[in-house]
Amino acid sequence: MTKIRLYEKPSLKKLTEIFFRIGNTTFGGGYVTIGMLGRELVDTRHWISSEKFDLAFALARVTPGTNIIAFCAAVGALIFGLAGAVAAVVALTAPSAVLAVLIVRGFESWQGNRIAMAAIAGTVAAVAGMMWSTIWTILRPHVGGLTRNLQVVLIAGGGFLASWKFHVTPLPIIAVGTLIGFLWKDEGRP
Amino acid sequence: MNLLLLYLLLLKASVTSFSGLGSLPMVRNDFVVERRVLTDHQLNMAVVAGRTGPGPNGLYLVCVAYAAGGFPGAVMGFLALITPAFLVIPLMRWLGKRADIPRVRSAIRGLLLASAGLLLSSSVPLTLDAFTGVFSAVLMTASFAVLTFTRIDSAWLMLGAAATGLATLMFH
Repeated sequence: MTKIRLYEKPSLKKLTEIFFRIGNTTFGGGYVTIGMLGRELVDTRHWISSEKFDLAFALARVTPGTNIIAFCAAVGALIFGLAGAVAAVVALTAPSAVLAVLIVRGFESWQGNRIAMAAIAGTVAAVAGMMWSTIWTILRPHVGGLTRNLQVVLIAGGGFLASWKFHVTPLPIIAVGTLIGFLWKDEGRP
Repeated sequence: MNLLLLYLLLLKASVTSFSGLGSLPMVRNDFVVERRVLTDHQLNMAVVAGRTGPGPNGLYLVCVAYAAGGFPGAVMGFLALITPAFLVIPLMRWLGKRADIPRVRSAIRGLLLASAGLLLSSSVPLTLDAFTGVFSAVLMTASFAVLTFTRIDSAWLMLGAAATGLATLMFH
């Protein structure tokens, strides 16, 4: 006899609850959150197919802003339309945003405390290293092969010089980088 | 600071970036260099606060907005952070069919590389602000290595860095 498993139907309340729970208890950045959401929404509840989940992931990467928030908007919209997108985004970000503001307030009131400032100095140094890691993470997939390396040097290096040395504002640098990319088609790896 | 202006400045930074910290160059340019609403140190603090708790990396925008405009500012920062995410809905209809076109891919690549160059230019002054001696240099290098070459959660890294900061205080 074939065993039929019944899955819970999606509801806006449940969707909000899932994004709230996973988004605000998962440390380690967007990819960890996406993994947890995939386990819950695709594997456990079957509310969305893995193909649609992957499409949401790919398009979130080319959506302006923070990728994980766009990803939640896409998945929420695929499951429950615009209301699902709004619920997913707000449930994922609002509580963490409140917490972040409370942390900033804490920093302000700890300014005169030597112990707190020593701990904060440690984290500030760690964040500086984090920024360099982010730069490397962005550049790494685009390195390899003469043409690709040349593009990295020209666009990323040129962007750096234009901003650092000539104080060009970010918008024109981004526009020129996009235009160079559009005109200088990458024939290499995907 | 005018709340609408604050929202629009942060929205501009958010819309022209493609990762959590990708908006940092634009934020620094508008808030530290052009308008002098924040110092590099305050910006560093906002990034730290955004990364200390759970949630997306881009949360530092809310902290920047709070530093510039108090609680109402933080609300504007939150709205600026989430607004671009909804672009994914029309994008799913439009770009879903065109994402594999090589020229579209190359344009996106050009955009990402330009963003990396800008991030590099913003990271230099923020790194100089965070540099206080050998201890901070070691922490920066260790943080870079841990995040780049291991899968250790960044929350543990922040905790470890704070503990190291406390330990050095005890030795001085």
